[in-house]
Amino acid sequence: MDLKSAMTRARRGLREERRLYIVAVTSLAVAFLCLGATLLGVTNLDAAATRWGQSGRITLFLKDDADTQDIAQLRVVLEGLADVSDVAHVTPDQARASFLEEADVGADLSSLPSEVIPASLEVTLVQGVTRERSESIATRLAQFRAVSDVESYRSWFQKLDHLLWGARMLAVGLAVLVVFCVVAVIGNTIRLAVARRRQEIEVMKLCGATNGFVRGPFVLEGMFQGFASALLAVLALLVGYLALHESVDGTLAALTGSRVVFLSIWTLVALLAGGALIGAIGSAVSVRRYLSV
Amino acid sequence: MQGTKVVRPFPFFRAGARASQPQLSKPILTLEDVYKFFRPDQPTLRGVNLSVERGEFAFITGPSGAGKSTLLKLIYRELTVDEGRVLFCGRDIGRLTDKSIPFLRRNLGIVFQDFRIIDHWTVYENVAVALEILSMPQRLVRSRVAEALERVGLAGRGVERTSNLSGGEKQRVAVARAIVPEPALILADEPTGNLDPHLAIDILTLFEEINSTGTTVLFATHDHSLISKRDHRLISIDEGRVIEAQKGLKQWPGSGIHTLVG
Repeated sequence: MDLKSAMTRARRGLREERRLYIVAVTSLAVAFLCLGATLLGVTNLDAAATRWGQSGRITLFLKDDADTQDIAQLRVVLEGLADVSDVAHVTPDQARASFLEEADVGADLSSLPSEVIPASLEVTLVQGVTRERSESIATRLAQFRAVSDVESYRSWFQKLDHLLWGARMLAVGLAVLVVFCVVAVIGNTIRLAVARRRQEIEVMKLCGATNGFVRGPFVLEGMFQGFASALLAVLALLVGYLALHESVDGTLAALTGSRVVFLSIWTLVALLAGGALIGAIGSAVSVRRYLSV
Repeated sequence: MQGTKVVRPFPFFRAGARASQPQLSKPILTLEDVYKFFRPDQPTLRGVNLSVERGEFAFITGPSGAGKSTLLKLIYRELTVDEGRVLFCGRDIGRLTDKSIPFLRRNLGIVFQDFRIIDHWTVYENVAVALEILSMPQRLVRSRVAEALERVGLAGRGVERTSNLSGGEKQRVAVARAIVPEPALILADEPTGNLDPHLAIDILTLFEEINSTGTTVLFATHDHSLISKRDHRLISIDEGRVIEAQKGLKQWPGSGIHTLVG
């Protein structure tokens, strides 16, 4: 197949069938946008999970009547542990101030008494501590006299894991659906284009064109449609991201402690290349049956 | 089970290849006891034997439905023979694989009654397509197309859309497309069928001019006014059988033109 000739003929085909192709590209862009939005959700959940997983925190809530000496002794023990990188004592006043700063519940909480929030020791673990090890440390620390409760965030991790798994499955399902959509829409668009250009194909075949020569421009047209749809979706997603990320950032930071991130460059490349590849395949499959002239 | 021998693309049929001396010495086209059935009990062609030499001009005639188009379709392999052989330059084209057929067609120029040109393309694009298939450089395509358009009397009209042309001009574009790759054999299937008598003579003369440069021409028509004006070899097909006369109607056996066209 002569690529230059195929590209020239594909350009002509795109020009002649532009209305048909605009409709197809727009429809496919919506499908790609759904996939892209889901991937964006998965990427952000992943980022939050990674951040939480890496932070390795344990909060030791102290009893109201805890002795200062007991607390100091507990700090000494904690600082002696190889898995602990930092220990911070948070008084009820500090905890209240921090809560009022971060929480945005839509009500005036300035009258909240500091006694309702217990004092705590915020333990930061070193990088690479597994969740199991974190659990084991938390269980041992719960036995100290000054400790009323221990929060190792296990339930949060479990919930996040479930959420992440669900989101990933949704993304996989959507990806499969989008592949079918792209193959079907591009296949049908190319089929229509082939039907309209049947006489051209017939003339070329009678002049001695090989199947590759006839198929070439249609495959390029399908490839272009797939690529253009994915590009349109990525651009729409980027515009949406730029417009909303500042307002979403604050809420997300308060909830998960992480900020909104956009799709990685590799995900973007995969979306664009995948769109082009699926478009080419869909087109090649649909044009095959029309080649026997 | 012994399968049919698969014939690979002949080097001669590949673009740019030249025929060897033994190939050139053979008739360009030979049909040996060819049968074609569309209905089991009624063959369209029955035992056709025919030999066409290089540089010949031959009319193929007969009433509508006699099998003229079928005969041509067997030559450019739109159809395959059911029995017998069709030899192009001594090669059995009935045994060509599907992938080899384009290489056979590159050695043929085909012209149809309905022109088969693309209306939304320009005259140039319609002619150039036959060379673009051969991956010929654009510079060469331009000069060859210009030359072909000059030969058919459409010099300088390459930029015009073919939808704006008259029937006779459209057929000239189709002829230009057929001759531009300089094929060994031109198959014309009722090329004057859609034209008035005056234009028909013009187109016939054009084919004769092409023939005078050494290209073999098979001209299928049922128009007796055309046949009667020329002394070319006459091949008549009737009820699937072939009757021939080397010097047109002058040598025709029986009761003249009516036996030819019914």
